[in-house]
Amino acid sequence: MSYWIILVAALLLLACPELAADEESKTVIGPRNALLADGADALKAGDGVEGVRLTLGGLEIAQGELERKMGHSNLCAGYLLIDKPLTALPHCNWVLERDPNHWRTYNNRALVYLRLERFEESEADIARGQALSPSSRNLKIAKGMLLDETDPVRPNVEIDERRNAMEKGSDDSSKN
Amino acid sequence: MTILRRTSLGALLAVALVVPAFGQSGVDRIDSNMERVPLHTVIPDYPEVARRDRVEGSVQVCFNISRSGYPRRIAVRHSTNRLFEKIAKKAVRQSTWKPLSEGEQESGIKACRTFRFSLVSAIENEQD
Repeated sequence: MSYWIILVAALLLLACPELAADEESKTVIGPRNALLADGADALKAGDGVEGVRLTLGGLEIAQGELERKMGHSNLCAGYLLIDKPLTALPHCNWVLERDPNHWRTYNNRALVYLRLERFEESEADIARGQALSPSSRNLKIAKGMLLDETDPVRPNVEIDERRNAMEKGSDDSSKN
Repeated sequence: MTILRRTSLGALLAVALVVPAFGQSGVDRIDSNMERVPLHTVIPDYPEVARRDRVEGSVQVCFNISRSGYPRRIAVRHSTNRLFEKIAKKAVRQSTWKPLSEGEQESGIKACRTFRFSLVSAIENEQD
């Protein structure tokens, strides 16, 4: 569960309304849509129910495409947080239909698919997200979670006391 | 000149008397890699990031073992991935060996320990 909270918290960073104000070159002191901002804060704190409630309120008074996109992105994360992946999915789709380069929403949708055990779709979204943001830690975590579901592994550590162990007995490799 | 000769002779005699004390008078040289007996061997945890990203690898750590059985001058000699180096060194640092007895002497040769980090399919394991 903690993985989900960390991921959702990280994914909300770009979805705060303060940033929308910056992008539109207006002088706005404080968040323009307080409900969206408070909803994002609640979700970041792990309070899915309150986060969804506030975000729904913020979405009703949202102005412009950018605020609506943020609202739906946060709702996708919020509904996932409260274990309603089927409700979350349309919100992720809404964002990606309008912005196919939004890697955070690909990450969110991958997690939704993962929760729904739609592993191939989850893998495809992780790949799309990684193509847009190759160094994203969130996507690496999501991929790890997917692999834990589809190809679980057990760690093994061996100790070899021979001085020439690395030359002779090693068969080192990286799975990826 | 005579004094100088006597001093040199005295120094040579001193060396001649000291050398057998290490080489012959019941002192065993211990190759720490072969003959030091481990008392407590710490097996490192698999680094979580490496497990998550499905990375395997090996690290060889070399070190001296003090008379009292603690590792000294720990250094990575070979490594296939830096992800494993820190935890391998930490495992060596926390390990101990049987102290040398009075008659034994350190060889000064470094001991080496290789850690192989691998991932085994858990599905296969469940089927076994």
